[in-house]
Amino acid sequence: MKQLTKTVTLEHKQLTILKPIDLVVNAGETLAIVGSSGSGKTTLLSLLAGLDLPSSGEVYLKKQALHKLDEEQRSQIRAEHIGFIFQQFLLINSLTALENVMLPAELANKANAKELALTLLNDVGLADRCEHFPNQLSGGEQQRVAIARAFISQPDVLFADEPTGNLDSNTGQHITNLLFNLNKQYGTTLVLVTHDQKLAQRCHKQIEMADGHLIAEQNNLTPLTSVDKAVKL
Amino acid sequence: MSWMSNLVVKQSLRLFKHEVRQGELTIMFLAIVLAVATVFSLSGFSNQIKSALVEQSSHFIAADRVLRSSRPISQAVLTKSQQLNLHYVKQVDMSSMVFSTDSNMLLASLTATSDLYPLKGELLVSRSKKAMLAGEFQSVHAPKSGSVWVDAPLLAKLKVNVNDQIEIGNSLFTIAGVIKQRPDASFSLFSLGPEVIFNIRDIDKTELIQAGSRVGYKYLFSGNKQNIEKFSAWLTPQLNDTQRWYSIKSQQNALAKTLNKAEKYLSLASLLGIILAAVAISVAARRYSQRHQSAVAVFKAMGASKRYITQLYLIHWSLLCVVSIVVGLCCGYLLQYLGLAAMANYLPIESSLDWSYPLFTAIITGLICAIAFALVPLRELIETSPLQVIRDPILKANKFFSWRYLPAALALFVLVWLFSRDWLLTFVLLIGGAIIIAILLMLALFLVRFSRTIGSGAGQAWQLALANLKRRATENSIQLVSFTLAINLLLLLVVVRSDLLADWKKQLPDNSANKFLINITQPQLAKVQQFVDENNLTASALFPVVPGRLTAINNERVVSKETQKEQIASKGSNKGTDKIAENKNSKQRIGIGRELNLTWLDALPNNNKILSGKWWSANDDYAQVSVEKSIAKRLSIVLGDELTFTLGSDVFTVKVTSIRDVHWQSMQPNFYMIFNNKVLDNYPATYIASLYIPPSDESIFTQFLAQYPTITVLDVDAMIKQLNNVIKQVSLAIAFILVIVVLAGCLVLVAQVQATMGERQRDLAILRTLGAKGRLLRNSVWYEFVALGVIAGTLASFIMEIMVYFIQTRLFNMTASFHFNFWLIAIVAGGLFVGLIGILSCWRLLTKTALHRYAV
Repeated sequence: MKQLTKTVTLEHKQLTILKPIDLVVNAGETLAIVGSSGSGKTTLLSLLAGLDLPSSGEVYLKKQALHKLDEEQRSQIRAEHIGFIFQQFLLINSLTALENVMLPAELANKANAKELALTLLNDVGLADRCEHFPNQLSGGEQQRVAIARAFISQPDVLFADEPTGNLDSNTGQHITNLLFNLNKQYGTTLVLVTHDQKLAQRCHKQIEMADGHLIAEQNNLTPLTSVDKAVKL
Repeated sequence: MSWMSNLVVKQSLRLFKHEVRQGELTIMFLAIVLAVATVFSLSGFSNQIKSALVEQSSHFIAADRVLRSSRPISQAVLTKSQQLNLHYVKQVDMSSMVFSTDSNMLLASLTATSDLYPLKGELLVSRSKKAMLAGEFQSVHAPKSGSVWVDAPLLAKLKVNVNDQIEIGNSLFTIAGVIKQRPDASFSLFSLGPEVIFNIRDIDKTELIQAGSRVGYKYLFSGNKQNIEKFSAWLTPQLNDTQRWYSIKSQQNALAKTLNKAEKYLSLASLLGIILAAVAISVAARRYSQRHQSAVAVFKAMGASKRYITQLYLIHWSLLCVVSIVVGLCCGYLLQYLGLAAMANYLPIESSLDWSYPLFTAIITGLICAIAFALVPLRELIETSPLQVIRDPILKANKFFSWRYLPAALALFVLVWLFSRDWLLTFVLLIGGAIIIAILLMLALFLVRFSRTIGSGAGQAWQLALANLKRRATENSIQLVSFTLAINLLLLLVVVRSDLLADWKKQLPDNSANKFLINITQPQLAKVQQFVDENNLTASALFPVVPGRLTAINNERVVSKETQKEQIASKGSNKGTDKIAENKNSKQRIGIGRELNLTWLDALPNNNKILSGKWWSANDDYAQVSVEKSIAKRLSIVLGDELTFTLGSDVFTVKVTSIRDVHWQSMQPNFYMIFNNKVLDNYPATYIASLYIPPSDESIFTQFLAQYPTITVLDVDAMIKQLNNVIKQVSLAIAFILVIVVLAGCLVLVAQVQATMGERQRDLAILRTLGAKGRLLRNSVWYEFVALGVIAGTLASFIMEIMVYFIQTRLFNMTASFHFNFWLIAIVAGGLFVGLIGILSCWRLLTKTALHRYAV
């Protein structure tokens, strides 16, 4: 992304949430965006994922200029290349766990959506909860369904917004391990927004934001892959 | 169908199936079901009740419709009626002397009629004097050629008996029976002598109709309702000013007025029911949109296109509507069936119901509601930004006035018009409604904000409740308006019903007079009084009556309307507008055109009210007259005018000193002109009185009358019974409709409470997490809703009072009154009911587990 900015108008006042930012995320890389509340992390994520358009600057995903595309074209890009994990899980309450996981695969026109979903639910340890509705699952279970949903379409990039933010530390740890394991398995590029330093440390790279600026960028030389292997779900 | 379409259909069905199972769509489903069922059952039911009431009451004009004319009508009219399979009867009315073979003579009202008379109701006749005294009679049609049916007083006055002959014109007739009851008997106390009915085939033989003779023609029609309506639509534009086309409803009597009021009430109730159901749909559609926004954001984030979302929710919504409309039609059918079955014991319900109208209107209503009320919420749903998956939308200030309400307002407009077919009512209702809602919103906002100030010193739960009220001020104001409207409309129906029943009860108090005695002579007065006293009967005073004609106002001659009409008709113009223009051009006032019953009294009679001027005192030494308001208006008579009357060969002039309002529906003799006793004292008068004869005294009454055969009896028993029947039946029908409307009202309340559940859920979870106890939360929810209910009840009562004023005075022509007793009911019931719905709706949220789950 080049010289990306985002300005919003609130009650007739111009508010610049994102000041000019340049950033490159390479394929297969894991990136953590950290920073205090209101620093612009989530805004940055929404622009990277094509959920929102920048006020100025350029965003490219797999050489496609997202900033030049309309909502419909960006939808198509999301369907083909992007997966999401949210702090609030955001499962569709009226669909079962299985149907929630199948959803992106169906939207991406994958013929074997059900088989893929069952495999992934098995991978996240919820094979026996397929027919349960979100309100019948715990927070941790819901997030595991969300992770399965995120990987089903085998996205090139996975965006995760505070994936452990709504979970207790123990469950959060399990979810983190699951996320990184699957990420490694599928070779997905991972961009996550977090307050959690431990989580950020596990990424190849982390950037810190404050007041809409990118204030620090660091490469974690030793991503904690050894821990991954140690954790059993 | 492309793969996308298959998928979208599959996902829609999947969403629909699960949401139905989870109860997510219940409120929306119920709202549409209720709207459709309400329209289906009410339009079918009230139309059936209305036509059954009219059918049953049509006996009183002996037909479904009557055409009265001063000349014979063209054969084309009769041919048209035959083409439409209508039955008809031709009658000629006139006054003429009838003679006995002993040369006794008497002025009688003659009716020459064709064979089928009466088309509706029964003509009851006693075939001998003995049978008459024994109260034996049979139902007959027109007499055979050469014979007549006569009124009982004619026998005494002409000194003849059944089977004797009388002479009418140039022809002799045999008296074949004595009339006991004629279905379309005139209820006018003013009569031109006893009635004689003979066959129209004999009219030429009598040679009564000569050039210039004053005769009236009546054509009675009956038949299938649709054909009658078709005939009416065909005939009405052709009528001229000398013709009158009427049904029982267009008559000016108590029965017609009761029928019209009942009809108006049924229509009003149906209309309010439909508005309530529409409001429920509108509220539920908004909730539907809000509940699905998060899912749409997720769908979009996952890459679903707008087209896909549109298809997904169009299919989802259509499925919901189709299922709801079908279920609504079934429920409506069932409700109507039950309602009509309950009424079948009391009313002649047609066995072959015409389902097309209720079916059509119900489906149209369902579609209008489903499309128009959902248009904006669905559009907003489809436009949901995918950004919502990570960030709550920036809340736009909830504007009170917005174009987004336009489709709903238009839909309501179409619905109201569809049911009332009355542009004025539709405009008044909607513009009035919009103004009321705007005022209510502002008032509600003020009250809700004010609640925090007054709540500062209250207990903890109260404080929390009031703080909640204020914090969600805008949403609560909208909620409050919905509550107020629902309570208001329900209250309106209950209050108008109670007023209407009270009005009817007042019109027909127990033991209201069922007989009028006319032509009581001076020597018979004491005997009548004695009969009343001995049998302990309830009777009115005996009013002296002298027939007289109003001939001039302020020395300016008044023209007879008949004369003027005839003058106009003889000019050969057939266009009504020309005649009206001519009438306007004529400077002469049109008089009453017939003799009036003039009376004189010292005191103002009951059911009379002085509107202007003053009632005389016994000491006044000049001639005065008090004029009834409608005739004063018609003849432009004002206080101080000099009215000239002709009595036989005498002419006298009196001054108008008061204008009166008369309650015509009261069962007592009422008069247009009442004099003080300075004028009429010297004229020979007959007397009239009204009295109540209980069924047990009927035979004593018949025996009494047999001794005084010259007294004419006007029997209004049948009409009173019919009035009572109508009132009973309408009360039953109203109770049925009220149940449906109350259901619609409750649904609005539930839908509205449900609409704020999402935010409430979050708030309660936060409070619970912060350590608030269950009891505090329950109480705060209870108090919050009770407060909303109480405020809504108060506002609803206030608006109800304004609306009832207009309904009473404009729609029902009743006297306006206040209903403070209903205020208390509305406030208490509003508080309790809204509180109960609130607490029940939140119950699941108030349990610990649910809250913790949300708060995790």
